[in-house]
Amino acid sequence: MKTMIALGFEGSANKIGVGVVTLDGTILSNPRHTYITPPGQGFLPRETAQHHLQHILPLIKSALETAGVTPDEIDCLCYTKGPGMGAPLQVSVVVVRVLSLMWKKPIVGVNHCVAHIEMGRIVTGADDPVVLYVSGGNTQVIAYSEGRYRIFGETIDIAVGNCLDRFARVLTLSNDPSPGYNIEQLAKKGEKFIDLPYVVKGMDVSFSGILSYIEATVVEKLNNNECTPADLCYSLQETVFAMLVEITERAMAHCDKNDVLIVGGVGCNERLQDMMRTMCSERGGKLFATDDRYCVDNGAMIAYTGLLEFAHGASTPMEESTFTQRFRTDEVHAIWREKKASAGINGLKEESN
Amino acid sequence: MCTLSTFLRILCEKQDLICNVCFFITHNFDFICSDLEVDFGSDENASIVYAALAIDKELQPDKVKRQMSVANGKLSVHFEGVEARFLRASFSAFVDVLTLATKTIEQFGQGMDS
Repeated sequence: MKTMIALGFEGSANKIGVGVVTLDGTILSNPRHTYITPPGQGFLPRETAQHHLQHILPLIKSALETAGVTPDEIDCLCYTKGPGMGAPLQVSVVVVRVLSLMWKKPIVGVNHCVAHIEMGRIVTGADDPVVLYVSGGNTQVIAYSEGRYRIFGETIDIAVGNCLDRFARVLTLSNDPSPGYNIEQLAKKGEKFIDLPYVVKGMDVSFSGILSYIEATVVEKLNNNECTPADLCYSLQETVFAMLVEITERAMAHCDKNDVLIVGGVGCNERLQDMMRTMCSERGGKLFATDDRYCVDNGAMIAYTGLLEFAHGASTPMEESTFTQRFRTDEVHAIWREKKASAGINGLKEESN
Repeated sequence: MCTLSTFLRILCEKQDLICNVCFFITHNFDFICSDLEVDFGSDENASIVYAALAIDKELQPDKVKRQMSVANGKLSVHFEGVEARFLRASFSAFVDVLTLATKTIEQFGQGMDS
């Protein structure tokens, strides 16, 4: 039997991506395009959707050509059902519906958060880790238990990536390639640690107060030469990452798991990876992390997760191929993780061909 | 009005489609767009676009209503709104996805150039 192939579409935030993957996790192609706003500005739903409208069709062409795959060879079309911004999400789903009707291929709607987790697991080989999912829209500590990815801790207001992005806007740092990357580079030159609020509430974290504090005091501090922008980047990273490491460690103790997987856009920050690695090694565990090719939103993660679900007999009927701005990680029934007894990764028997 | 007609001109020029749109205000101060008509040349393509776009309901059904139908290879879309601004927002968003669906058929449908 030939390996199954999926075409996946991701467009829930400021990146539009199309990926082609096979069921064993091989990525045949994964082009994406990022909507980059001028320094000091964030991305808004309507403008972001316009960006996606312009780039999605060329990306499909490029994904199919690079992969060397024709529409006939594709087994299913996967798209991000949510969570994310409505208008950008709609761009992917409309294209997927049209392609499904023309090519007569089934559709699979995928949860964006679960897709990050599955991509992280297949790329790193982490079997059953505690997952820290950190991006511009989400901050969650997740562990698998009885058919679902359960949220053990999360932000009670804005995401850590949102806090970093908006901090970058205060300093008018460039958004190219991403605000977080530029903060990380500048933080390496930081020398002085500025005390910032440290807000962990039980298993949850909060970032909006830290951001307000910086917004309220940063201009004065910089003008009085009390600190440099680099010091602020350094201090903010140390503070928010320490908070994340703390709640992750608590989740590990709670679930009795020793390994950590970091996914999501903020997950490619090497300082966060270093801090987490130190904590894991002290507990006798291991850190699994990936670089920006897999951490940052991409089409392949949607394709792979959709294909896992499809291979276990599930798909989304046309009339149910909707999208939604709110779609929690624990709403998804992770059917592909339940049939572990039949051996092989993700409950699938190894193909021998 | 300017943005709407610009959208339609782009739509018409790019895809060589026929669109007839007129706006008028009824006694109830309802704003009506009757009708956006796009000729796809075949019922098959018109139905694909219909099926792909009918799934997403209007976000504010109490403010804007949208009705679609397919006949003679044409997709007709009728809008009604309680205020011009709701009608305009809804219409403009719809034209964007309609254009996207049409381009997708052109580029990836049968006779796809490869």
